[in-house]
Amino acid sequence: MYIKNLKLLHYRNYDELDLIFDNGINVIIGENAQGKTNLMEAIYLLAFTRSYRTSKDKELIQWDQNYAKIEGTIIKRNQQFPLEIQLSSKGKKAKLNHLEQRRLSDYIGALNVVMFAPEDLNLVKGNPQVRRRFIDMEIGQIQPVYIYHLGQYQKILKQRNHLLKSLQRKQTDNLIMLDVLTEQLIEHACIVIEKRFIFLELLRHWAIQIHKRISQEREQLEINYQATIDVLETDNKEKISNIYLEKFKQNRHKEIERGTTLYGPHRDDLIFFINQRDVQKYGSQGQQRTTALSLKLAEIELIKQEVGEYPVLLLDDVLSELDQYRQSHLLDTIQGKVQTFVSTTSVSDVKHETIEKAELFYVENGTIPDQKRG
Amino acid sequence: MYYPEPISKLIDSFTKLPGIGPKTAVRLAFFVLNMKEEDVLDFAKALVSAKRELTHCQICGNITDQDPCAICQDQSRDQTIICVVQDPKDVIAMEKMREYNGLYHILNGAISPIDGIGPEDINVPSLLDRLKDERVSELILATNPNVEGEATAMYISRLVKPSGIKTTRIAHGLPMGGDLEYADEVTLSKALEGRREL
Repeated sequence: MYIKNLKLLHYRNYDELDLIFDNGINVIIGENAQGKTNLMEAIYLLAFTRSYRTSKDKELIQWDQNYAKIEGTIIKRNQQFPLEIQLSSKGKKAKLNHLEQRRLSDYIGALNVVMFAPEDLNLVKGNPQVRRRFIDMEIGQIQPVYIYHLGQYQKILKQRNHLLKSLQRKQTDNLIMLDVLTEQLIEHACIVIEKRFIFLELLRHWAIQIHKRISQEREQLEINYQATIDVLETDNKEKISNIYLEKFKQNRHKEIERGTTLYGPHRDDLIFFINQRDVQKYGSQGQQRTTALSLKLAEIELIKQEVGEYPVLLLDDVLSELDQYRQSHLLDTIQGKVQTFVSTTSVSDVKHETIEKAELFYVENGTIPDQKRG
Repeated sequence: MYYPEPISKLIDSFTKLPGIGPKTAVRLAFFVLNMKEEDVLDFAKALVSAKRELTHCQICGNITDQDPCAICQDQSRDQTIICVVQDPKDVIAMEKMREYNGLYHILNGAISPIDGIGPEDINVPSLLDRLKDERVSELILATNPNVEGEATAMYISRLVKPSGIKTTRIAHGLPMGGDLEYADEVTLSKALEGRREL
């Protein structure tokens, strides 16, 4: 799939913008603080209805305006789909085919986007939250119903944590309610963890071979799911449910003492190994970056496999963070199949034929004066 | 903007209602000024009597002008079944159906630790008292199908289970007269889970 055109109205530092994109590589060039990343963010928002930079929609609206609009036409299976996001102080509207979609899960997935930003290089090194968000976002865009189950899980988790706090402070002694919330939590935990296992199996399939290729057959990548319980990825829902039940039963006092839920998918993590060594602990910076790159490239292939079309790739200021070798590996992989948006301050340091053939957009203070060809 | 005291008090009162903001409150208050005096008096009386004359039924917790309420007093209703709902409005929905002839128990809320609502804050203790009556043989849990409603239903069923009273939960699934294609995934999967043999 690809984005044919994008229209912005009162969005961040863009007053009005109307662009037509190439279905290959589009390079957004500009000095710092001109609006390159804002453009990337707009595309991301069109896919996920929210920004990766802020949770406050107000920040997305131009400062002297009271609403903003992002419109895009995507081409998917040779058909055109208009998408539209409206932001105002009253809230957010997401329209697909000109029809408002009330539920997030009905909208997300219409446009698949894979984002690769400098923060993503921290996927391996950063805290577990970053990795959990990575899997949650990716499963969500392939299987929107996952978002619902994760949301329910988080809601119950909040209730349960609150009750545990009250038990800790001896404001209540209602252990039956704790049992009820535990049972509810387990029900959704099992669905979440099961879907993560299925996703991980698919991700592994691609990431391992991609990593092997980037490392010129020298490195064998492994991805492990680290759960808070002893569980095998082959276990069925019933077994997982029993393991959780046992764990919660045994650790009831500990949880009350700590006043919080100690087990469940919200505490799980991914661990990466290269040639059997933990990359986070022992890997070089280069290995950590290669791993992040392999995962992102695997995501692209995975979406292609599950959705039937390649997603749109956003490379926000990340190309300059990669060395020559990884740069060209990345560009070789996407060449000719994935519509890509690259934001950079200059193209001169990227020597690759794809960039030389790319469509260039020069951003100047929230406008793109004219589409110059490089 | 300066309003004479009587009208600013009226505006203030209107803003206490749900869904009424300051602008609407001003509009409503000025509208009242132009109403016929007898209509205004009726309105004021209705407000006061709704508050004064309605109480919660001491048996089922429903709002009523006579205690116990009409449903609880009606001996022709099936005294062996109690349907547990969250809200008095749910009773009206059930009664419209005209198929249920048992009794009700209105919780007036759902258990939610975050909001500080425990079982003793809603009508759970009075429900347990009612179940001591040996005539009751079935409890239907008709709380809302969301996280809090489910938790409340599960909680009650745990308390009731030892007594041996049959406890049932209303089914979740597709709305009648609807199209399968318009159902969302979650409802559909619940409907599939609760499928029956024909």
